[in-house]
Amino acid sequence: MPQDEVYEAMSSAFDQGAPVALATVAQTLGSTPRKTGAKMLVREDGTFVGTIGGGCGEAEVWQEAMDALEDGDARMVTVDLTEPVDGEDKICGGIMRIFVEKLEA
Amino acid sequence: MANPAEIARALLVAAREGPAVASCTVMGATDGVEVALGAKMLVYEDRNLGEIGGGPLEAAVTDFGRRAIPKHLVQTCAFTPDGELVEGRRAIEAADAIVEILVEVVEPAATLLVVGGGHVGLAVGQLGAMLGMEVAIIDDREDYANEDRFPYEANVICGDFGEELERFPITANTYIVLVSRGHKVDELALRSVAERGAGYVGMIGSKRRTRTVLQHLAEEGIEPQVLDKVFTPIGLDIGAETPEEIAVSVLGEIILVRRGGGAQPMSEHGRMLASIRR
Repeated sequence: MPQDEVYEAMSSAFDQGAPVALATVAQTLGSTPRKTGAKMLVREDGTFVGTIGGGCGEAEVWQEAMDALEDGDARMVTVDLTEPVDGEDKICGGIMRIFVEKLEA
Repeated sequence: MANPAEIARALLVAAREGPAVASCTVMGATDGVEVALGAKMLVYEDRNLGEIGGGPLEAAVTDFGRRAIPKHLVQTCAFTPDGELVEGRRAIEAADAIVEILVEVVEPAATLLVVGGGHVGLAVGQLGAMLGMEVAIIDDREDYANEDRFPYEANVICGDFGEELERFPITANTYIVLVSRGHKVDELALRSVAERGAGYVGMIGSKRRTRTVLQHLAEEGIEPQVLDKVFTPIGLDIGAETPEEIAVSVLGEIILVRRGGGAQPMSEHGRMLASIRR
């Protein structure tokens, strides 16, 4: 899966002097929507490029990315998809560890 | 020391044009180990950009990254701070100190070169495009090599097979599928591409036909090691009948070559475990 969209967005953000938060799937266990290396880049205005797995846990990771942009700390986020969170029968039933970091030129 | 902007630009170049690079990021460490979370080093075949703290760890990660490139690897690995690779969950849990490194090979999309724009070529190209490959299709018949015929993004080339293939750039990231209208053309095409270091060369045909083609090329002096690497008859044995099913079988084989795997139903693993536990 080519990631050039994410790298392009990162590059052009840096050209403008803007920081970004990058979320990368570090590890997966069981059945997860995306595999290791999948990426989502989040800009300061909350817009993002790329996906780490659609609805399954993405909102949570997006929030962590926004927090990382704020405080600058890198963090590992564990998203557990084995429990139905809102009564919906989600098809993904695994655990993902996602590395979230703030990057700036 | 490379700054993040330099690294980002280098990653973009790697993803767009190549050459491939193994991007190595420090993602975590056990308490007490001094590392810079998020430190990133790009390992090329012949040099590095950036650093992850030097010492034996950096040397080990460099070595690992270099070997990851031809395998298209994307994997989080555990090392000791002294640079020893720790494999397996139990060993990782038992280790005193671990540094987690994400190693991901960044490279341009693979090229799928389809020789022959017939029914099978059409389906193979479609599935390749769906998998994110850059698809090129060559045929010498205008009815088969025209943009209208392919409802997906493809570089459609109409021309003499020999000339067009000679001109076509082939790298280890090129996957070649020979599915032309007849074994004569397939033979000509195979002669042209066999020795050019493609990541995969597969040729359609019955066992008898394909053996004849290989024999001809062996007699012409193409090395047996080269011919041994040709996947022919093409595809995984899944009982494919229709062009679309054959495409699944062929792309299945290409994924197998690219990623490695057992090419067995996943459930077989479960059954094996069950029989061991019994």
